[in-house]
Amino acid sequence: MAGISGLTLVWIMVSVIASVLMRNFGLQPFAWLFTSAEYGLLYMTMLGAPWLVREKGHVHIELLTSALSEGPRQLLSRAVALACVVVCAILAWKGIELVLTNLERGDFDTRAYYYPRWLLSITFPLSFGLMAVEFSRFVFGSELMHSGEAGIHE
Amino acid sequence: MEWFEALALLLGTIMLLMAVGMPIALAFLAANIIGAWVFMGGERGITQLLNNGLGSLTKYALMPIPLFLLMGEIFFHTGLGGRMFTAIDKLLGRLPGRLSYVTVLGGTAFSTLSGSSMGSTALLGSLMVPEMSRRGYKSHMSIGPILGTGGLAIIIPPSALAVLLATLAQIDVAALLLAGVIPGLVLAGFYIATIWIQTQIDPTAAPAYEVERLSFAKKIGLLLREVVPMVSVMIIIIVLMIQGFVTPSEAAAFGALGVLVLAAVFRCLTWEAMKKSVIGALRVTLMAYLIVFGSATFSQLLAFSGASRGLVSWATSFDLAPLAMLMVMFAVLLLLGMFMEQISIMLLTVPIFFPLAQTLGFDPIWFALIMLLSLEISFTTPPFGLLLFVMKGVSPPETTMREIYTSAFPYIFCSLFLVILLIVFPQIALWLPAL
Amino acid sequence: EETISAVHAFPETLIYTKSFLSFVDKVNAKGAGVIQIDVRGGPEAIGMFQQPDAVRDGIVDMVYTPGSFYGGALPEKDAMVSSNLTAVETRKNGGTALIDQIHQEKMGLKYLGWFDSGVCYNLWTREQPTFDAAGNLEVNGLKLRGNNVYNAFFTNYLGAQVIDLPTGEVYSALQRGVVDATGWTQIGLIDLKWNEFLNYRIEPCFFSTDLGVIVNNEKWNSLSDEAKKILQDVAIQHEQDSVKALRAKRDDDFAALDAAGMKVVSLEGTAKANYLAAAREKTLERMKEVMSGQPGGTGNYDRLVELFYDLDAAK
Ligand code: NA
Ligand code: NA
Repeated sequence: MAGISGLTLVWIMVSVIASVLMRNFGLQPFAWLFTSAEYGLLYMTMLGAPWLVREKGHVHIELLTSALSEGPRQLLSRAVALACVVVCAILAWKGIELVLTNLERGDFDTRAYYYPRWLLSITFPLSFGLMAVEFSRFVFGSELMHSGEAGIHE
Repeated sequence: MEWFEALALLLGTIMLLMAVGMPIALAFLAANIIGAWVFMGGERGITQLLNNGLGSLTKYALMPIPLFLLMGEIFFHTGLGGRMFTAIDKLLGRLPGRLSYVTVLGGTAFSTLSGSSMGSTALLGSLMVPEMSRRGYKSHMSIGPILGTGGLAIIIPPSALAVLLATLAQIDVAALLLAGVIPGLVLAGFYIATIWIQTQIDPTAAPAYEVERLSFAKKIGLLLREVVPMVSVMIIIIVLMIQGFVTPSEAAAFGALGVLVLAAVFRCLTWEAMKKSVIGALRVTLMAYLIVFGSATFSQLLAFSGASRGLVSWATSFDLAPLAMLMVMFAVLLLLGMFMEQISIMLLTVPIFFPLAQTLGFDPIWFALIMLLSLEISFTTPPFGLLLFVMKGVSPPETTMREIYTSAFPYIFCSLFLVILLIVFPQIALWLPAL
Repeated sequence: EETISAVHAFPETLIYTKSFLSFVDKVNAKGAGVIQIDVRGGPEAIGMFQQPDAVRDGIVDMVYTPGSFYGGALPEKDAMVSSNLTAVETRKNGGTALIDQIHQEKMGLKYLGWFDSGVCYNLWTREQPTFDAAGNLEVNGLKLRGNNVYNAFFTNYLGAQVIDLPTGEVYSALQRGVVDATGWTQIGLIDLKWNEFLNYRIEPCFFSTDLGVIVNNEKWNSLSDEAKKILQDVAIQHEQDSVKALRAKRDDDFAALDAAGMKVVSLEGTAKANYLAAAREKTLERMKEVMSGQPGGTGNYDRLVELFYDLDAAK
């Protein structure tokens, strides 16, 4: 999914360049170039976010974790990771509900085109579900999310 | 629930979660879940939270950030950046902190074209920081100036935020844009003075390594070969923007294209470099956007719960002298700015502040500029200034959040000093629009 | 005393929001001790395009928004968009009642009132517009800004590929020449300062604004009869008042624009009739198409068209 996320980034660049060129050479740029770039931002963020959890790329502040000794620090770090799992699980679960609601109501996102909303909201259960899995590795796995090094640390 | 209880609940939750080390984006999401539960009627509030995220991420205005990052990463990973900075080093000789000055000058020039603080911080950060830390610059000499000039983008025209503020407040757009020019340049001057003072206090902060002396002809050769091509890419983008060929949001895509072409010409474009660049740009973008996802809704909860409106009305309900009232409004803007997103702050405060400013006898253009400055400051104010996190993303892994916070302070102080100057000498802002 | 919470789609300084806030003031004055509206804010409190879902889900009780912001769920709003009547007439002929009934069925919402109607849209351009031999507007070479209100008309009739920009970005886009034409309502151009760049108004005007007050059905049904009556009466009164107020505002705006050098160019004869007919028909086609994909199908189509368009007035 990180791969798709990266390709989406490249697509955003290509679509912007294409629509500017078309506009300036007297053509009317396809409205879908513009809309696909906007939707691309959502797909890119949601599909890439779980990968970033694994990479420990979501910035956090180490204040308390650096002040504690080894034992309590381990405990706190795992507790925080567990809280993250809970947050992601709640959002994944509500995400599934949202997708079902969108399907049931036949919701559309209305921009240049009418685009089925569930194709957008489906990224929520996918993304937050996998993020919950990734965070749970910091709860039960050998590796910790926090380094515990002195000072405010990432 | 009273507004101050709502405020305490929301801010207390987010501060606590951050202090125990929850990732910032997750802390926002968790606070949102609690806030949505309390203020938006339980479970259904959380659905609303997801809908909001959908809205706040699919915005064209967010487009330049990943593209500017991509541009900077390609510049770095293809080795173009290294070549250009080696050349600049040789050209500028032994001036201590030379790359910091280059950052301010380049950043100011870039701010004149970019209307987006996040975009220009992303670009400058990914262009400059890796090279500067490789050359032994201490982080406050590289990160500080970039945070400072990133904020300049919203004062020096063109500035999307200034246009929006002027339309909301029903004041002259052109006058507000013009009013930002001189204060923006003055602020850039303060930044240069700050760097000079810092190199005087701690000469080791910027490495004073020996550079070979070059003949004039060699210098010209170096300039033409290594510096001019990259600078032309920037100039071409500026010209394209002035000509109306591209919008500021679209300029970023052409910047990335320009650097790609340049790398191909210099034969340093490899698949490996491309892959690294995309991954690098992605890392920072994803981190920043998930925070945007969370903080946009957090802003809305502050507004919807009545917390921020309550604060604004309470603070402006006192009968104070004009100057004291200005201070109160400025303080409210800074406080809100720590936790809320810029556009929401404007929507919330403009209808209350501008009529008040009028009764206090303030010039609306001048007041709008002070407001923009406070928004600019809040963008780099710990703990939540979004630019700080973008900076964290583009900095070398060993850079701590504390280093980033302490790097930001001298530059925040410069902006505060400018606000004082504007109060004492309003003409700094008002002279140009009056011509 | 009962309270209902409300949000509005546009910033507080926009003319349409001011109109809604004056409605709120009237309710709060008349409803003292019975019913009060508690305005929580605008797009800073709940995102502009998330407000319809928010009222549907009961997060907020009342929303003031264009129907076009939930056109995906309720395509019938296009009957109002393509209307040449005001809320005063459609309240009388049962059109508003039908729209209310459709809101209840499809979205679980009470449609309280259609405010600020009787204002139509023009095309505004920077350069002098050109016409072909038959007198039709030439769209080639126009960099036209659109959005989901106009796109059926602009794209399917005029053949334009619109540049979709949010209202807040149009000023800089005009300044830089990224777009050089846009549709906009007859009023508000001065407030947005777009008249700094736009020099021509193309007549005739088409469409109508479709701003309305929607209320969560559960909340509505929970209110006392007295509260319901106050809300409905004041809304009907405001439908009338806002038509008058905005027409006066339009005359003021037009006079100010004229004085500042805005030139008016008009389509004539058959070209004019085709232009107006297309604006209406393309939009109604879109409405029918989306309706047919939804439960209930196109059952209400003919009746909506009949109640929201006066063929005689168009002649
Ligand atoms: Na700028
Ligand atoms: Na901030």
